[in-house]
Amino acid sequence: MVPSFLARERTVAGPGYSRWLIPPAALAVHLCIGQVYATSVYKTALYEHFDTSLTAIGVVFSIAIVMLGLSAAIAGTWVDRNGPRAAMFVSACFWVTGFLVSALGIASEQLWLVYLGYGVIGGIGLGIGYISPVSTLIKWFPDRPGLATGMAIMGFGGGALIASPLSGRLLSLYDGGYDSTDPMSVADGHAVMLLFLTLAAVYLVFMMFGAFTVRVPADDWRPDGWEPSQAAQKELVTTASVSANNAIRTPQFWLLWVVLFCNVTAGIGILEQAAPMIQDFFREDGTSSVTAAAAGGFVGLLSIANMAGRFVWSSTSDVVGRKPIYVLYLGAGLVAYVLLATLGASSTVLFVLFAAVILSFYGGGFATVPAYLRDLFGTLQVGAIHGRLLTAWSAAGIAGPLIVNQILDTQGSPGELTADAYRPALFVMVGLLAVGSIANLLVRPVAERFHEPDRSRPLERSSS
Amino acid sequence: MTTRIVVAWALVGVPLVYGVVETVRKAATLFTG
Repeated sequence: MVPSFLARERTVAGPGYSRWLIPPAALAVHLCIGQVYATSVYKTALYEHFDTSLTAIGVVFSIAIVMLGLSAAIAGTWVDRNGPRAAMFVSACFWVTGFLVSALGIASEQLWLVYLGYGVIGGIGLGIGYISPVSTLIKWFPDRPGLATGMAIMGFGGGALIASPLSGRLLSLYDGGYDSTDPMSVADGHAVMLLFLTLAAVYLVFMMFGAFTVRVPADDWRPDGWEPSQAAQKELVTTASVSANNAIRTPQFWLLWVVLFCNVTAGIGILEQAAPMIQDFFREDGTSSVTAAAAGGFVGLLSIANMAGRFVWSSTSDVVGRKPIYVLYLGAGLVAYVLLATLGASSTVLFVLFAAVILSFYGGGFATVPAYLRDLFGTLQVGAIHGRLLTAWSAAGIAGPLIVNQILDTQGSPGELTADAYRPALFVMVGLLAVGSIANLLVRPVAERFHEPDRSRPLERSSS
Repeated sequence: MTTRIVVAWALVGVPLVYGVVETVRKAATLFTG
């Protein structure tokens, strides 16, 4: 049950409502929760404030990503049943409360409160917020689901682009001795606490704008000139409906789980090590020709490639089809990884180019998967199915860094590594992308025995 | 409705453009040193 002002019935769009209000509503949520990728701005400040290890601070981020996957998987059915407004509202409450509890933890020097706040409570907000607009966008854009989900999920990539410089400026404001342009400068804990309180206030306003702007289409609504039969002309696109409980019993769900896991693990392999990696690739006689500031610029460039890939590749999938676009992500991604491993050290431009291509496919993989699920399982509970699939992200978030760090540990000490040290890890990623390619090629239409018998009666209504 | 759409897109578009511009400025150091 949700309060009446959040009820799904209250959010049905009236005549004349434009579907072009839905992407900015979705973006408002995703741009806020995308802040989770900007934690590096205050990581060192927290490390010094709590006088602990970097690993202990890094755990905050890991808990948040694990909670994202778990909450998306568990709350997906609830999100589909209660609609996007309730989901966005609840997501905003959790996300903002996470910042407030963490601010209390910083003020009282209790690290466990940061784990609880940002990690657990904020992580739940992340998971619910991430899936909250997906099924609604697909219903508003049945003619271009890849474009619609690409626009929203692009926001998750873009959130860090905003939060990173904004946080730097706010920390400078709250701590006169901190210089955000100097990599060696560290803000004090009080400034980080004030930053968290400020972000909580800003994100509350933005996410509530999204929650109270979003609408669901009426059951009989269709885009002008579009008929459902047009969407079902491709082999893998169904007009049938599969429930979330049935979806996880199909081989297609688990094949897509493997596809997402492999694609995300391969992307994280670069993202996790981006700054030290580019410096190590161009290290000669113990000195790198790439400065720390330039390495930071490389990380920013990858963020743009990641964000752009979400929009461009996902939109392209509406034209070429979902399975072929994943052949590109995984196949061309594999080639790009081989080129990065073999030719990357020969030129900075080539290194940046190959890495940017890989990261664009990483982003594309995230943004296209809801439309792939829609094609295979229908729109009935696509949000819940998507939520369950995101456990692959959580698993990749653990596996990717683990693979890369363990291999690099055997190659030498940080600050002394060269391009040769990275090659074993890069070829492991090539193998993962090969596995993902095979899984994608094995995807076939879902068997009829998994289809819901009555497609005219939405399950989310009958179960409420 | 058109005004509402413009305002909604501006609310999310302006911060996004700010983020992209700041990131590009930072990334430029990669090629300019």
